[in-house]
Amino acid sequence: MLKSRHLGLGAVLALGVMATAAMAQEKPIAGEVKEGSLKGKTLTLVSYGGIYQDGQAAALKEFVEKSGVTLLNDGPTEIAKLQAQVESGNVTWDVVDTADLPPYVYCGKLFQKLDFTKLDISKVPEGQVGECSVPAMNYGVVLMYNTEKYKDNPPKDWADFFNTEKFPGTRALDGSGDPTGGLLEQALKVSGGDPKAMTVADIDKAIDVIRKLGPDTIYWKTGAESQQLAESGEADMVMMWTGRAMTAVKNGAKYTPAWQDWLVVMDQMTIPVGVKDTDAAYALLNAYLGKGAQEILAQQTSYTPINNDAQPKVDASVTAFLTNTPERQKQGYQQNIKFWVENFPVAQEKWSALMAGN
Amino acid sequence: MSASDPIAPPAADQRPGKAWRPFALTAPALILLVAVIGYPLLTIVLRSLSEPEWGLQNYAWFFGAPVNLTVLQRTFVISAWVTLVCVIAAYPYAYLMTAVGPRVRLVLVLCVLIPFWVSGVVRTLSWVILLQDSGVINSLLRGVGFSGVKLIRTQTGVVIGMAQVLLPFMILPLYSVMKGIDLRLMRAAQSLGARPSRAFLTVYLPLSLPGVYAGAIIVFILSLGFYITPALLGGPRSTMLSTLVQTQVLSLLQWGRGGAMGVVLLVTTFVLLALAAPVMRSRHREAGRH
Repeated sequence: MLKSRHLGLGAVLALGVMATAAMAQEKPIAGEVKEGSLKGKTLTLVSYGGIYQDGQAAALKEFVEKSGVTLLNDGPTEIAKLQAQVESGNVTWDVVDTADLPPYVYCGKLFQKLDFTKLDISKVPEGQVGECSVPAMNYGVVLMYNTEKYKDNPPKDWADFFNTEKFPGTRALDGSGDPTGGLLEQALKVSGGDPKAMTVADIDKAIDVIRKLGPDTIYWKTGAESQQLAESGEADMVMMWTGRAMTAVKNGAKYTPAWQDWLVVMDQMTIPVGVKDTDAAYALLNAYLGKGAQEILAQQTSYTPINNDAQPKVDASVTAFLTNTPERQKQGYQQNIKFWVENFPVAQEKWSALMAGN
Repeated sequence: MSASDPIAPPAADQRPGKAWRPFALTAPALILLVAVIGYPLLTIVLRSLSEPEWGLQNYAWFFGAPVNLTVLQRTFVISAWVTLVCVIAAYPYAYLMTAVGPRVRLVLVLCVLIPFWVSGVVRTLSWVILLQDSGVINSLLRGVGFSGVKLIRTQTGVVIGMAQVLLPFMILPLYSVMKGIDLRLMRAAQSLGARPSRAFLTVYLPLSLPGVYAGAIIVFILSLGFYITPALLGGPRSTMLSTLVQTQVLSLLQWGRGGAMGVVLLVTTFVLLALAAPVMRSRHREAGRH
């Protein structure tokens, strides 16, 4: 009897120690995962394909090997498809890479409110973590201009981009889908408005500024097209994603960026509502945020890592387009996220009317 | 004409109890059609009427926004141009296919089919390279003294690209009708004193019209739903309805509005075809009388 009571006490003590150990282990560290912890499980990562998703897969290779998980890739990310999955209760996308705004617009509806005890976000650059998302990487939308055309008198910022009298020439803008909030804010500034106090009526003012660029203005539909416009010299000033800008320059395009007020873009990583194994999805996100993973991602894609400790080894042509240097951080322009989240449908409506020639 | 009708004499191949046979044979196709076209279509109609709530609000929205009507009209205009260009380009080509020997015909058929097997996206991207301001066609034009001609990001560019992608759908039905036309009829007409042009207009053309109609309908209807080619070769002024549907559904998650746009396009198409049908049928009979 005495013996068994001792045994009982011992068991309680042992349990206590184990529990503490487990708790200590459960406090996540970005980039780390328990050996074999996801054996036999499958996760589906959804992103935008191309070198970007290849880079993400490479960044997660260590996580896959260590945890034993089977990682599937799918894409491209379409919020409508995700909505259909969530509504039918059959969610097959476990971790989804999205554009800037959707996690804010559909937070709690399509994307889970994140439990930050399961993620180590201590190394994520400040101000980038949302209620329903962590950043996937950073890049920029930048004004690229033809150096042969503008020679000694190059455009310096978006105000010059919108000034066709002082800077004649064809403009090319992102017409690939959603409106770029930052660009509309820059256009609004040209018409004398204040982006910080933006109203719905200001969207029309901003769009008018863009419309005044004239009928020759090109609205590119894909990143590849924007790159082609620069490489063939079709447009004199091109609004471009930094990744595409870098590749165009590498391929010999005589274009160079005007960095003033480059538009900050942050792809987002999310976990949809209703995924089968939430903890496994968290484990993937946590591994993705790690220093090593972010270095590999940056090296493969040229996108800026979102771990402050990451020091990717990249050559000069890539370094020229990384956006996390102190100088670039000072020049960057952050859109009024709150305004665009609240007015996403009306902005989209007005933008698509412009895109349809009205 | 059902087999149970006591007045109608049973036809030899329609003995009582066997009437279901044709249906049984077509059942696989019918089931497939209902499952992959009928059911989704019904869903679209229902969603257009029920989201966000029951009513006609999505249709009211569609007809209340000028941009939608502009784009709807433009979609039909572009499709009509594409159809016209296809008829003009395909007619002599299909005729040539019937007039040459088997070996040359094989080459001609391959010339139609090989591009047909290449993805439409690839062909459209090739057109970008040909048509752009710094592209092949403009370089040639500049070489002979013309200044730059705007081809890309115009409706002309879109029509050229779409017509090339859709040309096989016009040539093949035309050819299948033309090869059934007895060319001796032309010789007969000429022997009765008709000039070649007259023989063509009164004999050959009417006989070939069923092929023209079949091809034109296929090309026109396929044109209405084009998405990639107008997006890559056109600018804002050649945006077609499918692009607007895409924005509503994929970007704004407005399935109801997207559905309503689809239904409007479908109904308008049916109405236009219904209006065109009597013309086609009467010409048919005329052709039969000759």
